[in-house]
Order: sequence, then C-alpha cells, then structure tokens
Amino acid sequence: MSREIVLDCIGEVCPVPLIKAENALKKLTVGDILIIQIDHSCAMKNIPEWAKKAGHNVEVQEPVDGEWEVIIEKMK
Amino acid sequence: MDIKKNKYYQAWFKNAWTYVTGAILLSLLQTVTMITTNDPWGVTGAFANWGAWIYKALGGSVEKWTYFDSQGAQAALSAGFLNDPASMRNLGIIAGALFAVLMASQFKLKKIKSHKQVIAAMLGGLLMGYGATIAFGCNIGALYSGIASLSLSGWVFALFLFCGSVVGSKLLVKFFM
Repeated sequence: MSREIVLDCIGEVCPVPLIKAENALKKLTVGDILIIQIDHSCAMKNIPEWAKKAGHNVEVQEPVDGEWEVIIEKMK
Repeated sequence: MDIKKNKYYQAWFKNAWTYVTGAILLSLLQTVTMITTNDPWGVTGAFANWGAWIYKALGGSVEKWTYFDSQGAQAALSAGFLNDPASMRNLGIIAGALFAVLMASQFKLKKIKSHKQVIAAMLGGLLMGYGATIAFGCNIGALYSGIASLSLSGWVFALFLFCGSVVGSKLLVKFFM
C-alpha cells in the first residue's frame, strides 16, 4: 500500500525545505505521496521545479493564504 | 465577481512573475537609477552608512576609518540619511515588498522554528554583511552592477560568490539540517 508522508516546513527558508524534501523522498518508494507544507514563497517555485525535473508528479495547493502544500507523487 | 478569481488580479498580484519579467524590469529600473542618481544600483553600501550614522549619533567618529576615507563617502555621510539615494531605495524595496505581499494576501509573521535557525540567521547575516563591506559591494552593487557596467570585477566577484555558496551550502547541510 502506498503511504502518505507530511513534511512540516512551515517557518523554514530556502534552501532548507528543498533539501528536506529531497531527503524525505529518497526514503519513500514508488507510488508514495510526499506533502511538503511551506510558507516561504521561493520554496513554492524551487521544490516543484526540482520534482518535475526528477520526473515526479507535482501539484501545488494554497489551503490558507500565504501557506502552500507541495504534493509530490514519487514516480521512480 | 470575486476579485480573487479575476484573471488580471491573479496575473498582476497573486501569481509570481516570471524570471524573464523580473529581469527586464530590473534592467529598466537600474538604468533609471543610473540616470537619476549617477550611481549604479547598490544595497549594502547604504547599510555601512546607517552604521556610521548610528555610531556618530552615539558620539563616535568614523572620519579616520579607511572605509569612509574617500570624498564621496564623506559627502554621502554629511548629506545625511534623507539625502542618500541608496538609503531611500532600500526603504522603497521594503515598502514595495510589503505592498506586493499584501496585495497577494500572503503577509505572515513567521514563527521561529528552532534555536538553530536563529543562530544560522544571525551568523549568515553577519558573514554576508562583513563580506559585502570588505568586498565594497554585495551581489547587487558588486556583482549585478559590476557586470552591467562591463567591469571585470563583477565576474571575479561572481566566481568567488559561487565558491562561497558551495562552502555555505555544505556547512548548512552539515550543521543545520
């Protein structure tokens, strides 16, 4: 069964959320979902950029103004 | 109609502008800066002046300091805060950033996550401030304006900025992750 992991990066600034996301995704298996919570707008750009380049499915949501969830589905 | 769904509101205020849009605007505005103030765009030089004014207000004197030796530096110091284009511009950057974040309704007082974050921020700020001051410029004054003025110094600065970033990133991963 695929897992869903939430990574709390609220209050963290670049490049910490990106490095934490990279490390967290390494530990997951294909099909798992990683949700990174951020409130740093640069991370909203560089995390999806990295994840798309690495070939994963990415979606960004803004559940609250000024806070985002980057949702990554590990594809390989 | 809900303004948040208006496509012009989204394009102008909500969504981040592209890097290309930003680059073109920066180029145009730095040309305006050059024409109106006769100086290329810079940021950190003004902070050194702020320090000098505060030190003077507390009764100190910076007249003998090598950094403020030049006529230009002395003239800027005696003209004062309100007549310093770089200081006004820095305030403008802060006001503009506040305006942008308010328009996107993304203003937020961020919580401090850990003691490590405080130490990293203070250490990083000190290193950047000290580095920019002894290099006579930061990534704006020395790098961006240097290269834009067709000066070789900008490229030399870029090379060492890159080396510093590599070392800084390694230290960050090692001690703060």
